[in-house]
Amino acid sequence: MTPIRTYLLLGMLGSANAWGAPAQVAPVQPPTQAAPVPGAPVPAAPDARLALPDLSALAQKASQSVNITLDPSMLAMASRFLDSDDPQDAAALEIIKGLRGIYVKSYTFDQDNAYRQSDIDAVTNQLSSPGWTRLVQTKSRKTRANVDIYIMLVDNRAIGMALIASEPRQFTIVNIVGSIDLNKLHKLEGRLGVPNLDIDSPAK
Amino acid sequence: MSDDLENQLRAALRPVEPSAGFAARVMARVEAEQRRQARRRWRIPASLAASILLGLGLYLRVHQQRETAAGLEARRQVIEALHLTDEKLDLAYQTVKEASGS
Amino acid sequence: MDRDLAKARAGDEGAFAALVTGHQKSVFGLALRMLGSAHLAEDIAQEVFMQLHAKLASIESSEHLRFWLRRITAHRAIDELRRNSVLKFTSLEGEAQLIGAEDPGDPLLQTKLRSTLLRLSPHARAVVTLRYQDDLDPLEIARILDMPVNTVKSHLKRSLEIMRESLKDHAS
Repeated sequence: MTPIRTYLLLGMLGSANAWGAPAQVAPVQPPTQAAPVPGAPVPAAPDARLALPDLSALAQKASQSVNITLDPSMLAMASRFLDSDDPQDAAALEIIKGLRGIYVKSYTFDQDNAYRQSDIDAVTNQLSSPGWTRLVQTKSRKTRANVDIYIMLVDNRAIGMALIASEPRQFTIVNIVGSIDLNKLHKLEGRLGVPNLDIDSPAK
Repeated sequence: MSDDLENQLRAALRPVEPSAGFAARVMARVEAEQRRQARRRWRIPASLAASILLGLGLYLRVHQQRETAAGLEARRQVIEALHLTDEKLDLAYQTVKEASGS
Repeated sequence: MDRDLAKARAGDEGAFAALVTGHQKSVFGLALRMLGSAHLAEDIAQEVFMQLHAKLASIESSEHLRFWLRRITAHRAIDELRRNSVLKFTSLEGEAQLIGAEDPGDPLLQTKLRSTLLRLSPHARAVVTLRYQDDLDPLEIARILDMPVNTVKSHLKRSLEIMRESLKDHAS
């Protein structure tokens, strides 16, 4: 079982981190915006939900596939059956408290490179739209795995996350919609170009 | 052969009763725990409870079963989604560590 | 059973005792198959019902109750196995007392299977027991053990292979 600490580090909380101290996010320069023009239409609030492509063709080739769609009603239903006395369940409850959706597609294959770049592009193309910021891009020579993590920031608050992991025999997309605590990502900050988010380390 | 093995496993792993008096031992512990904690519990008079049960009947039972199944499945999906996310976040973290030489 | 649950939730201790009686075989059986010790299995089973008594308000239905009991029992047994490495090598303590005269099939073969079960990892033991004691399908087992369905299937496949191998030794 995943240790509690890992869940707490994931820390998908709205305002409080797992160690009790309030989460802090250093001001991130908002995209430059022109002054609003009176009478002009107000742009719609950004939506952190991605349109995940139909990958049923990929699913047929995969030896294992995971397809999870948890909208607000499903998350609410799940929280009724998560046991607050169980450490793992309690951690999961905390994580999903501020969330409005969790969407996951993951495919595992018996051979290398069974999926195409176009499958990945169908998702990454959406992440170049306004609001999304790539937080980290990792490429491992050892595991030949690439993991890209994006967040959507509005008024300095993370309201969505997207993760794309492409490995030789597995392809995973995770899209999380809702208030996210970036504390987990502090471990990545300051290294290899990941912007220093100036998040305080938790007191030990 | 596989069916035979599975049937043998079913026979080998038949549920087994605990030793006599198990329920009584549990209730003794429950009673001791209650005395220790003096927990207040909301109690419905037995007659009112019977009326409620009769009134709700079969409809509630079917509805509850469906709700429970859906809820448990939603819970399972949450746990699986968080596991997978956690696994990929750690993959990214390990890659960064590996690249920084630490 | 639904009536007992509703009454137990309302504070009727007699109804709670009926729930214990109704589920003790499944709970004790699961713990016993995983731990190989009747003594430890009874401890775990008692703890599970104590925990149930405290958690009754959150149990929504009979089906939820069955799920909850199996889940808590399996997790406690897995924790016990992790804590107590001696259990990994345990023999079937008190086995003779637990075999009933009415048990069908080959008792020596069944003892061999139970003994092989105790050589499996904690999670594999849980998977196999839930499958063959309680006749649950892989999805139900996945929910109980917080495991991906495919991992459940892998455990089943591998465990059956191990059982088959052990029976070849038994036959020879």
